Amino acid sequence: MDKQLDHSELDALVLRELSSLPGLAPSRGFQDRVMARVVLPRPAAVVLLQRAGAWAIQPRRAVALATAYASCVVLTVLLAAPWVAAHASVAGLGASWLVAQAGHWLDAAAMSVAAWTVRSGLVSALRSAAGNGVRPWFLLATIAVGYAASGYGMHLLLKAPRRSDALADTL
Amino acid sequence: MPTAKDLQALGDREVVELAKAGKEAAYRELLRRYERPVFSLIFRMVRDRALAEDLSQETFIKVLNALESYRPEYKFSSWIFKIANNAAIDQLRRRDLDTLSLDGAPDARTADEVEATALQATDHAESPLQELESRETGTAIERAIARLRPEYRTCILLRHVEGRSYEEIAEVMDLPLGTVKTYIHRARIELREYLADLRT
Repeated sequence: MDKQLDHSELDALVLRELSSLPGLAPSRGFQDRVMARVVLPRPAAVVLLQRAGAWAIQPRRAVALATAYASCVVLTVLLAAPWVAAHASVAGLGASWLVAQAGHWLDAAAMSVAAWTVRSGLVSALRSAAGNGVRPWFLLATIAVGYAASGYGMHLLLKAPRRSDALADTL
Repeated sequence: MPTAKDLQALGDREVVELAKAGKEAAYRELLRRYERPVFSLIFRMVRDRALAEDLSQETFIKVLNALESYRPEYKFSSWIFKIANNAAIDQLRRRDLDTLSLDGAPDARTADEVEATALQATDHAESPLQELESRETGTAIERAIARLRPEYRTCILLRHVEGRSYEEIAEVMDLPLGTVKTYIHRARIELREYLADLRT
């Protein structure tokens, strides 16, 4: 009976001790060390493009591709030239139509920008500012701030990839 | 884009899906969830902090780089514990092979070869058991766990320290459910005996 009691006591002790064992943690920076060696999946199109880029960037292949591209252009021009010469009037009509269309779109765009500046009150604001005697240095400062903001925006857009991405690319 | 807090509320399967979609935060969430359980299991198996850290790192790298092959019908925890356990068991086997080299490599034929291969292990000042004991964390139960057979150790740690079900342990160890129950039962008897010895 006494031995039985000892057993159950010991069993309870074992379970108690086991459940009280602490969870052990690896050293600091463990997550970063693991993440540095994990390759994050990328969209298939990006992978394909990168592979194609890596393939084409090798000097011999790059020369071959450039030659092939140039040959295609020259061949197309050579093939198209006799047809263009034979149908000069049609080609001339087409070209003038394209130029007219482009001019029309440019004109429409310029008109809408002008209309917007008038409607938005920008023009009247500038006029009243000039009437109130706003100093030129204030305008210059505004323009400079605008340039700086644009520059910062470009910097954000074109900044280097993050460290983890850069590492993933090297793997 | 889910935040770290949103991820904490998700189950393992959902987090894995986000990770598969390339979300770095999901990878870190999986790491956050399992770094302690995996490291604890491996450390209590191999009893060496630096080695446990290396093996845990390898486990996570293997798992996170193979997420595409993860099958959602299995629990993610079972998968990661299985890989962690295999890494620890492989390490223990390698250590066992190292102890064999104390007496020379098994394929050594001449006396010179035996001597040459036996010398490889003479750098160890202690026997593997002594080395093991000297690296223990100190408590009686930790000492008792260290003396268990590796299979018993995995079973008892997963069941009573990590709180995993018998079914999950069977999945982790590729063993029948009955065998897992037997191992846990025997392990508890052995732990009881070790503790009783300590008391006397």
